[in-house]
Amino acid sequence: MQEDTDTKHVADSVHDRIERARASLTGPQIAIAVALVAALGFTLLFVQDPMLHDSLHNFRHSAGITCH
Amino acid sequence: MATDYLERGAMAGVAGGLVYGLFVATVGNAFTAGLETFEHSHGGGGPVVSELTTTVASIGGGVLWGLLFGVAAFGMVYFFLEPAIPGSGATKRLALAGAGFLTVSGAPWLVLPPQPPGVEQALGTETRLAWYAGLMALGALVAVLAGLAYQRTARHHTAVRLGAMALPLALLAVPVALAPANPVHGDVPAALVAAYRWTVVFGQLVLWATIAGVHAWLGDSDTPATDDLDYPATAD
Repeated sequence: MQEDTDTKHVADSVHDRIERARASLTGPQIAIAVALVAALGFTLLFVQDPMLHDSLHNFRHSAGITCH
Repeated sequence: MATDYLERGAMAGVAGGLVYGLFVATVGNAFTAGLETFEHSHGGGGPVVSELTTTVASIGGGVLWGLLFGVAAFGMVYFFLEPAIPGSGATKRLALAGAGFLTVSGAPWLVLPPQPPGVEQALGTETRLAWYAGLMALGALVAVLAGLAYQRTARHHTAVRLGAMALPLALLAVPVALAPANPVHGDVPAALVAAYRWTVVFGQLVLWATIAGVHAWLGDSDTPATDDLDYPATAD
């Protein structure tokens, strides 16, 4: 299956990638990946619980996120 | 194959996050603590956690920040947009890192620059969040337009292509001109605010560059991108 790598590579496009993801990924895999990103972003940026919010105080100022 | 990308994105993200955690440990924590000495009235009492907790949690937050960028940008976006991103090898990664920086930080900061602790902003939190989100969307749009401009000028000289890529950046002037005034009130000297802001900018740039560099160093998939359709997708 290595033989026609080059021809396929030339034809490689964003559309192909979407098709490939559709063919090779399962729903739960996508869900886990999206959930991981959402959970990380939410925890670091939006949780207002004082305990967590104050714990990440220096991080937010270091990263320039000052939405409080 | 897609999981392969996710894995490499996460690894590059953790590597970048560790470097960024080191930045928070050495610069971020101390700088923030120093800036807090200018803080006078802190309504509602002090923080509810100890200084040590903040120090440690903020370093951890820095590491997770890197993991987030690694997974989202290099694990997911890179998988889909790899064929469309200009350049090859490390240049390709740096182009994506630049787009990521522009989206997450660069564009929003044009209107809402990082503020040191204790600075009161005139605009409400809700308004600022809405502007921040809108500017992130615009930053992503500008990055996509720059990529398209590069593709559309394929037959031209490199200088022309780079010039065409820079054109969409002009769009960023629109929100800067339209944004409501956000006067700030604080006792931190202006020079120190500038130093703080640029420290934050360089911190984010180092994070993105490290993720891009490590991702390039990890290399491309051993198996060509097309291989995996030959195998049935198995749910496990």
